[in-house]
Amino acid sequence: MANQVQKLSYVDSKLGVSLPGQQTTRVIYDSINAAAGQQFFQFFTNFAGKTQFQTNLTTNKLDSAESMVIKSVQIIINSATSNIEDHLNLNITVGNQVVLKDFDPSFNCSSRGLSFDRLHSGFNSPTNLEVRLLTEIVIPPQVNFKAELQISNALVAVNDDVTIILKGYGRIFSAGNSF
Amino acid sequence: MGMSAQDKMLNVASRLGLTTLKDMQGTTRMVYDSQTTAATNHTFFKGAAQRAFPLSNVGANGNQFQVNEALLVEKIGFFIPTAADGIAYTGLGANNRSVLFDLVIGNKTVMKDVSCELGGEQAFYNDGTSASSVIDLEGVGILIPPQVEYYVVAKIYNAAARTAETARLGCYLFGTGALLNFNTTI
Repeated sequence: MANQVQKLSYVDSKLGVSLPGQQTTRVIYDSINAAAGQQFFQFFTNFAGKTQFQTNLTTNKLDSAESMVIKSVQIIINSATSNIEDHLNLNITVGNQVVLKDFDPSFNCSSRGLSFDRLHSGFNSPTNLEVRLLTEIVIPPQVNFKAELQISNALVAVNDDVTIILKGYGRIFSAGNSF
Repeated sequence: MGMSAQDKMLNVASRLGLTTLKDMQGTTRMVYDSQTTAATNHTFFKGAAQRAFPLSNVGANGNQFQVNEALLVEKIGFFIPTAADGIAYTGLGANNRSVLFDLVIGNKTVMKDVSCELGGEQAFYNDGTSASSVIDLEGVGILIPPQVEYYVVAKIYNAAARTAETARLGCYLFGTGALLNFNTTI
């Protein structure tokens, strides 16, 4: 079974990414300031006017010499009325391909004895969850990606913030040479 | 060294003549279904195409996966929908609820009279202070191949008194999956 490092190398080489790059742990995130009752959120598609704490990307693709593995997904909602422990529906698309389909991460929210992870946190929050994926999913360089989240409850209030965070092994540009 | 989830998927797929499953997109997959009418006996995933999100996430294909999509079931969990709309849910928790279930794939019962005991798996399952409502499959897991119907038949009971219970119930299957990837232009 390939680990994150092997999988990233394999996919990158298949796609003709020759530069070795600097190995790293990559965390990318995007936050949406919600409208009242909003239930559908599309992340990594609109970066206009966002601060560095709302997103750490400026476009919906990684740089030409950068790639990463999606190994864990974290979702945070800043809301006094809504939560993410009710059923969710998460889809992640890389390129034109759905790589995580109709996934419900809400079972990992709160401490209800329902989490997918064997050692789940005692962090009993209805507004903050993380799921560690079983598979390594690669975001290659220069391929656009997006995440779509549907919240089953319609309790989101105006100006609530919904954030998704993708984390995993990655590579960032390293020239390996002097310019 | 044990077999990995991916190895098992490819091995079973190969035996079933599914020669292209190895080229599909690997993923982590979970499907769930809810029954929001309180009862002692429940059947999950059969007819689930009629139950839209958030009652179920199987979609129009119902209780079978599309061509070249599969799920290696590694974990089965049971939950209690809080209301008829199926939006909110809890663990089995109250009344010491546990679940006795069968998992059927195609015409074959692949898990028979298995109990998901409340608070089981204490040796390795830790979800804060909450008792587990989840059972980890021993070994590598069980593959639900593409286009084969699957369902779960479940009965609720009280783990302490060992008597039948009546309640709403939901079930999820979680594990390593494959998603259709054409791998060519069409």
